[in-house]
Amino acid sequence: MTTDSMMNLSPARTDAIATVPPLIQVHNLQKRYGNLVAVQGIDFAVYPGEVFGLIGPDGAGKTTTFHILAGIMEASGGQVDVLGKQPRHARLDIGYLTQQFSLYLDLSIDENLRYVAGLRRVPQADFQVRRDKYLKLMNLDQIGNRLAGQLSGGMKQKLALCCALMPQPQILLLDEPTTGVDPVSRREFWDVLATLASEGMTIVVATPYLDEAERCHRIALMYEGQIHEVGTLAQLRSHLGLQRLEVRTPDIPATEAALLPLIQTETTGIADVQTFGDRLDVLVANPASAETQVRQAIAQQAISLTSLQTTAATLENVFVARLRQQGSDPPFIPLPRSKTPPALTAVSDSRIAIGAENLDKTFGNFRAVKGVNLAIHYGEIYGLLGANGAGKTTTIKMLCGLLPASQGSIALAGQRHDLRNPKLRQRIGYMSQKFTLYDDLTVVENLEFYCGVYEVPSRDRRQKIDWVLETCGLIGQEQMLTGRLPGGWKQRVAFGASVMHEPEILFLDEPTSGVDPLARRQFWRLINDLARQGTAVLVTTHYLEEAEQCNRMGFMVAGEVVIQGSPSEIKAAQPGQLLELRVDRNQVASDVLKTHFDRWRVAIFGDRLHLVLDQPEMEIPQVTAILADANIHLKSWRPVPFSLEDAFISVVQRTESGTAHLAV
Amino acid sequence: MLRRLFAGRFWALVRKELQQIFRNKQLIVLLIFPPTIQLLIYGFALNPDVHHLKLGVVDYAQTAVSRSLVAAFTENQIFDAQTVTFDEKILTQQVETGKLAAGLVIPPDFSRAIANGDSATVQVFIDGVDANTAGIANGYINQIVQQFSRQQLQPDIPPLVSPQVIFFYNPGLTSSWFFVPGVMGLVVTLIGSVVSSITVVKEKDTGTLEQLLMTPAAAWEILLAKVVPLFVLLMGDVLLALTIGRVIFSVPFRGSFLLFMTLSGLYIFVGIGVGILLATLCQSQQQVVLTTFFINLPMVQLSGAIAPIETMPKFFQYLSIVNPLRHYIAIIRGILLKDVGLEALWFNVLALACFAIVLLTISIKRFRSQLS
Repeated sequence: MTTDSMMNLSPARTDAIATVPPLIQVHNLQKRYGNLVAVQGIDFAVYPGEVFGLIGPDGAGKTTTFHILAGIMEASGGQVDVLGKQPRHARLDIGYLTQQFSLYLDLSIDENLRYVAGLRRVPQADFQVRRDKYLKLMNLDQIGNRLAGQLSGGMKQKLALCCALMPQPQILLLDEPTTGVDPVSRREFWDVLATLASEGMTIVVATPYLDEAERCHRIALMYEGQIHEVGTLAQLRSHLGLQRLEVRTPDIPATEAALLPLIQTETTGIADVQTFGDRLDVLVANPASAETQVRQAIAQQAISLTSLQTTAATLENVFVARLRQQGSDPPFIPLPRSKTPPALTAVSDSRIAIGAENLDKTFGNFRAVKGVNLAIHYGEIYGLLGANGAGKTTTIKMLCGLLPASQGSIALAGQRHDLRNPKLRQRIGYMSQKFTLYDDLTVVENLEFYCGVYEVPSRDRRQKIDWVLETCGLIGQEQMLTGRLPGGWKQRVAFGASVMHEPEILFLDEPTSGVDPLARRQFWRLINDLARQGTAVLVTTHYLEEAEQCNRMGFMVAGEVVIQGSPSEIKAAQPGQLLELRVDRNQVASDVLKTHFDRWRVAIFGDRLHLVLDQPEMEIPQVTAILADANIHLKSWRPVPFSLEDAFISVVQRTESGTAHLAV
Repeated sequence: MLRRLFAGRFWALVRKELQQIFRNKQLIVLLIFPPTIQLLIYGFALNPDVHHLKLGVVDYAQTAVSRSLVAAFTENQIFDAQTVTFDEKILTQQVETGKLAAGLVIPPDFSRAIANGDSATVQVFIDGVDANTAGIANGYINQIVQQFSRQQLQPDIPPLVSPQVIFFYNPGLTSSWFFVPGVMGLVVTLIGSVVSSITVVKEKDTGTLEQLLMTPAAAWEILLAKVVPLFVLLMGDVLLALTIGRVIFSVPFRGSFLLFMTLSGLYIFVGIGVGILLATLCQSQQQVVLTTFFINLPMVQLSGAIAPIETMPKFFQYLSIVNPLRHYIAIIRGILLKDVGLEALWFNVLALACFAIVLLTISIKRFRSQLS
C-alpha cells in the first residue's frame, strides 16, 4: 500500500517543486552570539513533501539554524518564513527532534505518547488512531508499556519521533536524530522517514552520517555559517565534476602514501585521495587517464591491486573534497610525549593488556553480558561493535573496573585484582560515551583539570594543553565555556583530555559519535599513532567504515560476542555474494525486495542498494522481474566485496532471527 | 611539599570545584538569601509571647468597679478591648468566628456583690483552638482577676508571699534570643546538606562521575575536594547568621568565639555528611533536593530549635539524642547565651564528632560503589 503511494509521489515531486510555493523560506538569515557569528546570511527554501538535508562539519551553524526554524530562538537578522508565518507562530505545525532524547524515561511508551497528546490537545479518538499507526510504523506497537528508559538508543529516537508526530505537524525538524544510533536502527529510522515523506511530510534533517544523507531529496552543504551549495545528489556530483576511482589493495596506508603525491589537479587531473576503511577513493576529472597513473603508482610500490573501478562520487567524497578545498582539514599533530612510549618498554612484548574470561553481567534478571572472552595486546586496536543495547558499554565498564562483573575474570595491565587502585588507573585512559567534560568550566579549565588529576608533570602541561587546542582548532577560543561548544567539538576536546597522560591502555566508548567526517579521520590518525607506540586501544563505534582500521574486532549481539577476528576474516565469513544495485527508486525497491528476500539480505547504502544473494547469476533475473513488477528499473548491478557495515547488518539481523550459526 | 600539593591531584580537584562554584550564581544566592530570610522570619514572626489578645466585653453592670475590672484587663497590653456590647449573643458569635480571642461578661449585680462583700462572678470565654495561647490567656486572666480581688478587699496590705524572680541569661525574656541560635543551627543544616548533595549528585546527573571515577583520584580525595570549598562557604554562612543575630536581634555573644567557630566547623562536616550520603542514594538533583527537605524537617522539629525538647513526649526526647542538630543548638545556646565551655558541652561535642565520622565514612564507601 505504501509502495503504491510512493510510486506516484516520487516522479511527480521533482516537477512539483518548481511550481508549488515553499513551506520554509529562509532569506539572508543571520545569528550572532556576542562576537561569534554562528550563521552569516544563508538562503534556502524547502518545498512540501521534501526531505531536505543540512550537512556540514561541527560548528557550521546547523543547530543554530534549527533553533531558529523551530521558533525557539530569535534570528539576529534576515527573514524566515515557516508556513508563511514567523517560526514562533508556526510552532504548533512543527515537530522538532534534537540530539538529546526528549523523553520521560520513567514513563512507558504509551504514557509518553499520551502525555504529548494531552499537551497538544489531540482528541482521544485521533490519539488512538495515530498511536497505532505510528507505533506500528516504528515497530514499537508490541511493547507499548515498556518504560522509555529501558529502550535502546535507536528505539528511543523512534519513540521521540512518534511523539513529535503525535499532533500531526506539517514539518519535521530533525537535528542529528541518528547520532549514536547503530547502523541497523539507523536504516530503520530512515525507512520511517521515507514513508513519512511519501505521505507528504516535509522534513529538514541534519546528520553526520553522509551515506544516510544521500537519501535526502536535496542537500545543502553548510560550513562556517554559510551555505555553499544546495542541490540534489546528482547536482552536487556534477558540480564537483569529479568521478571516483575505487581502489582496493591489501595495504591501504601504503597505497595512500603512494597515491598522495599524484594530487595535482592541473597536470594529473587527480583532485583528492580519500581513505574509506578498506578502500581508497581517488577523485579524478578524467577517469581514463587517471586510471593508468594510479595503476603505475601502485605497481611502483610493489603493492598488489585487488580491484579498481570507476563510479560516481559519493556525498562523502563531495563533502570531504569541498572541505579540503576550504582548507579546513584539521591538522595531524602527534601527541607530545614525555614518558617512554609503551612500545619501547619491556611491558609491551606481546603481553595481554586487556583480558577477559567468561565475563558475565546480570542486572536483576536481565543478563546484559554473556560469557565474553577477550585478549587485547599492547599496540593493538580492538573494535567492539554492536547495536545499541548489545552490552558494549557494560563490557567496557567492567573491563576498566567501574562495574563489578557478576562472573568471570578480568586482567588489566597484568593485574587481576584491585582494578581500582590509583597506580593502575594512572596508566589507563577512558573516554565514556557521553558528557566527559564539565560544561560549566572553560575548555582550558577542563584540560587543566584532567592534567592535574592525572598528575601530568607541571612542566609538560602547557605543551599538552596546546596540543589539544591545536588539534581541535580551538586556539584563541580556550576561554569558551565547554557547554557552548558544538557536540562534535566537545568529543574532540574530550578525546584530547583522555590521552594527555599518555596511557598504556585506552578505552574509547563511541569517541567519534557526532563528529564530522574530516575530524573523524584525524581522530583515527591519532588513535593509530598511539597504537603504533604501543598503547592498547579498545574502541566502540557506529561508523563501521572507520572500524576497518581496527586490527581485530568483535561483534556483540544481545550480550554475546558472536563473531571475532580481523576485518578481512569477518568479511570472509559472510555467506553469499554481495551485489550493489542501482535502481531509479531506491526506497521502494528496498521495501519490495524485503518482501521477497530475508530482511538481512537487503540494505540501503546511500543512493545504492546492497543485496546478498547465494547464486547471483541465477537469481538476478528473478530480482529484475520483481523490481519490474513494481515498476522499478534496475539500472545496473555489480558484485562488490563485503564491507564491514554489510557484515554488521547481516550478522546482527541473522542473529536476531536465530540463523547466526551460518556465519560462525 | 607545598609545591607538590599544588601540582597534585588534590589541588586539581579543589580548583575545579572552586571554578564551578564561582560560576554558579544560583549557589551563591542560595548561600546568602535563605539564611538571612529564615533568621528574620523566625526571629520576628515566631514569637510565643501573648500580647494584644482581642477581648470582647459585655458590661451589664456599668459601674466604676466594673469599668476598673475592664481597665485591669487592658492596661498591661495583654488584652485589647475590641468590642463592647450589651448582647452576649454577639459576643459568643464573635468568639466563634474567631474575631475575638476572649470574651468577658460582667453581670448586672457585679458591683453590688463586691460592695456587700459577697463573691462576684464574671464569665470568661476563651477561644481554645490555639491551645497554647488559650492556656497563657487563661493564666493571665486568673492573675488579673486575683490581683483585682485583692485590691478590692484590702488595697494597702501587701501579700504574704511575693516571689522575686530573676531570669538568668535572658533577663528581658526576649524570645528571639531563644530562636535565633536555634535558627542558626537550622540554617547550617539545611544549606549544608542541600548544597553538598547538589554538588555531588550533579556529577552523576551530567555523567561526569564515571569519568571522574576512572581517574587515579581516590573517592576520599574527590569528596574532600568537594567538602573543602563548601566548608569555607558555610563558615561564612555561620558568620552571616551570627552577624544578623547580633545586629538585628541583639543576641549577646558571651562565650569563646574560637570555640564557637571550631564547633560550628565540626557541625558543618555533619551537615555535609548528611548531604553527601543522600547524594549517593539519589539519582538526580531534583530527587536529592526533595529528599534533603524530607530529612531536614523532622531533624528541625526534634532539635529544640523552635519547640523546647522538654515539652515533647518522652519517646521523642530520647529520639532527639541521635539528632545532631539538637547537640549543635545546645552548643550555640550554651556558648552565646551562657558562656559555658567544653566542661559543660563535652557530651554534645562528642556526639557531633561521632556523627561526622560515621556519616563521612559511609558516604565515601557508598560513593565508590555507586555506579553499580
